[in-house]
Amino acid sequence: MAKDLETRMIVISPSSPVTPDQVTRLVHSLGMEITIKETCYGAMIEGSKENVRKALVAIRKLDPDRIFTKVRGFPIGDTRRCRAHHGSRPGFTQLEKEWECLKLVDKGVSASERGEQICEVPRPSKLPVKRLKEIVDEVSK
Amino acid sequence: MKVFIVPPNSLILFDLVERYGHEPLSLMGAIHERIMNPEIESPPMNVTPEDVKKGLKYAGIEVPSGIRGRLAVWGPLVDQADAAIIMEEAPFEFGCVGCHRTDEMVRYYIKKRKIPFIVVRYPTNEEEAKVMVAKIKEFLEGLK
Repeated sequence: MAKDLETRMIVISPSSPVTPDQVTRLVHSLGMEITIKETCYGAMIEGSKENVRKALVAIRKLDPDRIFTKVRGFPIGDTRRCRAHHGSRPGFTQLEKEWECLKLVDKGVSASERGEQICEVPRPSKLPVKRLKEIVDEVSK
Repeated sequence: MKVFIVPPNSLILFDLVERYGHEPLSLMGAIHERIMNPEIESPPMNVTPEDVKKGLKYAGIEVPSGIRGRLAVWGPLVDQADAAIIMEEAPFEFGCVGCHRTDEMVRYYIKKRKIPFIVVRYPTNEEEAKVMVAKIKEFLEGLK
């Protein structure tokens, strides 16, 4: 069982109307042997790979373009990671950064699903040193 | 196909690879295997001395043990990969914070393996996000 066990993080984009509570209730209603933990960003689910995959299909239907998922190394409530046991949470900065970025990425996923034609916009280039010197001279006059 | 993602713990890249029908090779998966493996007496929070020795395949002895330890986990993932997606120009909090040299060596190793790879920029606005997703989708759909 342990080798077949999979833990997944379900992360809801900030632009989605779906709440972590809705995800939790949905998973409970599926009646599968899955452990679920509601979190601030979405939920964590754990169970056999087959059950987790089935649950993911159902969860994604709530908002296909704005629900994201990845596997998690440590199981739910693992004492080395769980805050309740004063575990460290080294992946949190990454998760926070990506969660913020999801509101942009979901637009990209939606546009891609619609088959929207996209052209690359070049980023503004960095300020040349010569121009910086000119600005410094202007200001220091 | 198996697709290695850089940074290897990225939610966005992991999701997009899976969404477009491929198997992402991630750090979380590698750590999960170590944690769930009953042969490891004390599941490590980081890496074991054995891992650091394995890292010698990917980096020389003069390279700091931290880099070798990381490469011992990431290196075998690159070995398995059929393709790779690299995200660049990301803020410092994004990715495995702590070791830029490991990032550089992994990128070098991907290029050395000559597998198809794509470099995308971390999106800072909606238009860039659309470009990033479109590029990744096109790349993944082209992998057959």
